[in-house]
Amino acid sequence: MSIEDPYELLSKWFEAKEYLVVGKSVTRSDSIEKAIGKARFLEDYYEPGRMLFVKQLLSTEPHAIIESIDYSDALKLTNIVGVFTAKNIPGINNVGYALPDQPLLAEGKVRYHGEPIALIASWDIDDAFKALEMIRVKYKRLTPIYDPLEAMERKDILIHDEQGSNIAFTTKVRKGDIERGFSESSTIVKNTYKTHHQEHAYLETEAALAIPDIQGRINIISCAQYPHLAQRIVSKVLGIPASNIRIITPYIGGAFGGKDDEGPLVAAKAALVAYLTGKPAFLIYSREESIRIHPKREATIIEYTSGVDDNGYLKAIKVKIIHDTGAYTNRGPYILWRATMHSSGPYYVPNAWVDGYCVYTNKVPQGSFRGFGNPSIQFAVESQMDELAKKLGIDPIELRLKNLLRPGMDTITGQKLDHSVGVADLVDKLARKMEWSKVRRELEDWNKRSNRYKRGLGIGVAWHGISTSRGVPDWSNAYIKIERDGSVNVYTGIVEIGQGTPTTSYRQIVAEALGAPLEYINVVFGTTDAPDTGATHASRGTSIGAIGVLVAAAKIRERLNRLASDILKTNPENIVIRNGRVFDKISNREIRWEELIQEAYNRGVEVSATGYFYLPKGKFDDKIGQGFAYPAYSFVAVAVLVEIDTWTGKVRVLKAWPGLAAGKIINPTQVEGQIEGAIAQGIGYVLYEKLEFGSKGEILNADLTDYVIPTIQDVTLDVEKPVYVEDKYKYGPFGAKGVGEMAFIPLPAAIANAVSHALNKRVTTLPLTPENVLKLIGGL
Amino acid sequence: MFYVLPRFNYYRPNSLDEVLKLINELENYKILAGGTDLLIDMRIKRYTPRNIVDINRINELQYIREDNEYIRIGSLTRLQDIIESNIIREKLPLLYNAVYNMASWQIRNRATIGGNLCNASPAADTAPPLMVYNAKLVVSSINGSREISILDFFKGPRETDLRNNELLVEIKIPKPHIHGYSYRKIGRRNAFTLSIVAIATYVEIENNIFRDVRIALNSVAPKPVRAWSVEEYLKNKRIDREEIYKASELVVKDISPISDVRASADYRRKLSIILIRETLFEASKITG
Amino acid sequence: MKVRFILNNREVEVDVDPREILLDTLRYRFGLKSVKRGCERGECGTCTVLINDKPVYSCMVLTVQVEGQRITTVEGLVNDDLFKKIIVSFAEKGAIQCGFCTPGFILTAYALYRIKDKPSIEDILKALEGNLCRCTGYKKIVDALTSIRS
Ligand SMILES: Cc1cc2nc3c(=O)[nH]c(=O)nc-3n(C[C@H](O)[C@H](O)[C@H](O)COP(=O)(O)OP(=O)(O)OC[C@H]3O[C@@H](n4cnc5c(N)ncnc54)[C@H](O)[C@@H]3O)c2cc1C
Ligand code: FES
Ligand code: FES
Repeated sequence: MSIEDPYELLSKWFEAKEYLVVGKSVTRSDSIEKAIGKARFLEDYYEPGRMLFVKQLLSTEPHAIIESIDYSDALKLTNIVGVFTAKNIPGINNVGYALPDQPLLAEGKVRYHGEPIALIASWDIDDAFKALEMIRVKYKRLTPIYDPLEAMERKDILIHDEQGSNIAFTTKVRKGDIERGFSESSTIVKNTYKTHHQEHAYLETEAALAIPDIQGRINIISCAQYPHLAQRIVSKVLGIPASNIRIITPYIGGAFGGKDDEGPLVAAKAALVAYLTGKPAFLIYSREESIRIHPKREATIIEYTSGVDDNGYLKAIKVKIIHDTGAYTNRGPYILWRATMHSSGPYYVPNAWVDGYCVYTNKVPQGSFRGFGNPSIQFAVESQMDELAKKLGIDPIELRLKNLLRPGMDTITGQKLDHSVGVADLVDKLARKMEWSKVRRELEDWNKRSNRYKRGLGIGVAWHGISTSRGVPDWSNAYIKIERDGSVNVYTGIVEIGQGTPTTSYRQIVAEALGAPLEYINVVFGTTDAPDTGATHASRGTSIGAIGVLVAAAKIRERLNRLASDILKTNPENIVIRNGRVFDKISNREIRWEELIQEAYNRGVEVSATGYFYLPKGKFDDKIGQGFAYPAYSFVAVAVLVEIDTWTGKVRVLKAWPGLAAGKIINPTQVEGQIEGAIAQGIGYVLYEKLEFGSKGEILNADLTDYVIPTIQDVTLDVEKPVYVEDKYKYGPFGAKGVGEMAFIPLPAAIANAVSHALNKRVTTLPLTPENVLKLIGGL
Repeated sequence: MFYVLPRFNYYRPNSLDEVLKLINELENYKILAGGTDLLIDMRIKRYTPRNIVDINRINELQYIREDNEYIRIGSLTRLQDIIESNIIREKLPLLYNAVYNMASWQIRNRATIGGNLCNASPAADTAPPLMVYNAKLVVSSINGSREISILDFFKGPRETDLRNNELLVEIKIPKPHIHGYSYRKIGRRNAFTLSIVAIATYVEIENNIFRDVRIALNSVAPKPVRAWSVEEYLKNKRIDREEIYKASELVVKDISPISDVRASADYRRKLSIILIRETLFEASKITG
Repeated sequence: MKVRFILNNREVEVDVDPREILLDTLRYRFGLKSVKRGCERGECGTCTVLINDKPVYSCMVLTVQVEGQRITTVEGLVNDDLFKKIIVSFAEKGAIQCGFCTPGFILTAYALYRIKDKPSIEDILKALEGNLCRCTGYKKIVDALTSIRS
């Protein structure tokens, strides 16, 4: 019997002292394919004329009863095969993730301008567009509400009647005794912070192609970040077993969380048409549709009070978080939950009182976006820290170092963190390396000499729970089989959205654990043919997703070690498999990898395995918001230098210094790519990006001309090499924690703190468009 | 696939005469130059012309020439050719700067100067420099040619003085005297963006006195405008910091900005003042 | 309407409706999937192709307009040395994440290197301002391009 207990296997590899490929900047296997246009994205599968083209009819009202939908004229067009509405849905017209409040196609009522109402299926694109203009929807208008504060108060206007209130969901934390905490505080700071929506603006818009096959199954080429979730949603909408639905994911042109929310719905819409017509159906969102329909980063209002004692130790926080969830909650409750449980920042706070409200309005829904509720709350936390430091007259880094979590301390939810807490080391190391104090001092001198331009240095420190929240089950799995020629196939549900997990770190992990050459490893990603691996979100693709990959590979490795020891007449412990060489380290006798695998087939040793791993979690008491929140936290700190033109209000980020405590770094280049990408996205969010809403709650800038994301001239190219603290996490693969979302999270805080430093004025509202900066200075 | 273009008849004349004949006969037509405005306007159904007259074959409209009095730019000259021209860079630096900051390389390789002017967007970036250079626009029809001062060309958003059968053929710019100049464009990001305000400032200075001041701005009124009040105020005054401050405030009389998705009217007003000041300082080489 | 042009060094002819845009012709008549659709209104750069060696957005050109012109996509450059140098550098420097923007970037960069073999950083930034990337933050793209300056 070989040892195949996942915990033992994980800890065995966790102890590894040296690595063959893990920790190296292995080049991704998909780069060249992508560069020469061979990599297939969604639209590449569409064949005009041979597949139905699906076009969506969207609501032009923010809040209204649908009295009738008349598409009889549209059906007269030669190429129109059908127009489908809620009443054509054979299964359940409910796709809400957190609460059952969202229809796939509007039913009875529309709740935002842009909400999908009907699907037009046409053999030709022209007719699809024509049909769109021929459908008449009769609305009975209801009063819309756009302001979440107003929505919370109003009982006479309900966006969801069945809820009885516009407050969809609440959260809380009650820790210690805040009255005592504040009475022990000598310095108290109170502020209200506001953050705005962010559009993902992935360069590939959403699409799906659903193809019925002869066995009665529906195959869907999908852009969802979680194939098995798309499968579940489609199954529910169509009312057919999940086993009849197969999801395949091609390369995805960016996702950032947006395709986690919208992806399954796109798949369901295409599948609905394919199911009803029996024909392959292709749905693609235009850029305008993409911006109007899919959920956005949360817009928030946060009231935050914090107190510190004379020695600069945090004593208490009181926080009220309001999330404008728009027309549907989508993942809003989870987002709010995450924000609430991160509302202390990575600091030790003995007393906390936090209330969170997820509030409906008649706007585009709120959803998942890199950081998932955390960037806005860390912006509030870190602004508070700077204000406290200022009032105390101490350096912002010094105040943070006093309060940062250390191993053995408990979090805001009373969860004790026993290991993998590298944040204090990280901040200390980063501050030293970048010479924080010296740079700050030099800037203050520089500002004395400069009238028009002002410079500032700010830092944001943040934490981010890895995996899904609370006791919500999380697991990992993968299926690996070694083919007779020694090449290896890895099947995973994790998708490739740009992060490179399947094409780099998975290959590295498998090559490391099996000892097979890296180029022998092929990863089949994003498919429901693989065991349910969970979603590619919450920075879990490598941290959690890869556990299953490692466990499966490690199981096979145990078997191979035993087989090799039989062949080479030695103990399994003496077997080394490295880069395709299999040898006994005592006698140096050797065989080749291919021979070993051939022998495995000959002697009946199974060279395939699944790697199921169930993440151990604790209990959480929702009534007081105390208990086990997350299995582990990644930590991040980013410092930025900004320059402000006080005449025009323009802000430029001149330089950024990132640092990360995310356990073992499996591929440094990939991690840097995630950091640099997140910094650019953060700069975009804070300085340029802003959705503009019209009088009907409609998005006025639903294009990339007026929703401006950073160009190559708008980011800083001066991003220092990251500082790493490899605070390994015991269940992570080789000790890795999550990376993908991390650098975004402290960015709003870091930029806001830098601007506040430069101007000597507290930033409390984002974005920092030139106009808003001038207002802050009092110049407008 | 994201859009469908409305159906149209496509004409591709080979000579200027042919073009003029065609547009004299056709009803409901649009000229297609670089297409970077027109195709979008057709996609969003702002225009649904029955006929499209593609003038891209008319090489005789693509040139940058210089004679004793004028610099002449053919209306079909691509924006990229304008910034690659030494004549423009040396003699018309404000135009060079404006075009350099327009759109992107890919757009500039197609977009034409004539298209930018005839599209008559309040945000047209070639307008401010051409307005301070007092450019003349030569337009032709089968009945002959006429010249329109660029100051009279724009009538409002997307409206020009062009008659239905006329084509813009040339932009004719009197060669400027020795002058100081400064250009600024503020958009919502640093590149590849439409202006919130763009400004071209031109000064002729003699013995520390403003002999001539010409300032034009876009995006602050229904059409690109000259800052007449500022110009009048400064003409024949000594170069002086205080005077420039005072003059810059006068611009509010010349503009009538609106609030839209790009900026508020207040911010545009504020920027106009600030940029006038800044460009005057730079053009007259004094420090603010 | 019949249109003849040179596509990736081959003479081709198509019969198209004048409304057809070059982007669709390349994708659907010639299967050139490197030419991506990100906005269809000249805002993103993913549909960049070269016309007579100059980068343009293929979503902003009618196919009938390319009569007699020379069109290049990355598919037509796979044997080109400069092109190979660029893509290898992109791959090695980690300048490719989701890859949706990549062919557009590479074509624009290629066009730049064809006219300047030692572009400055400013030249690079200026040339690429019309290619958006939402994943990389651009730093590694600039690294990839500066590292091949001969
Ligand atoms: C992404 C993007 C970015 C842009 N950025 C900028 C920018 O930064 N600044 C800016 O000012 N503009 C910008 N534009 C707008 C546009 O590119 C310019 O206005 C361009 O100069 C238009 O020229 P064109 O040749 O493409 O015009 P077309 O689209 O071909 O024509 C525009 C209009 O003028 C008419 N027309 C064209 N030529 C003539 C002629 N000779 N006689 C009579 N009528 C004629 C056409 O019928 C049409 O109505 C941008 C556009 C896009 C898509
Ligand atoms: S698709 Fe052509 S520029 Fe975006
Ligand atoms: S790599 Fe994804 S957009 Fe550039």
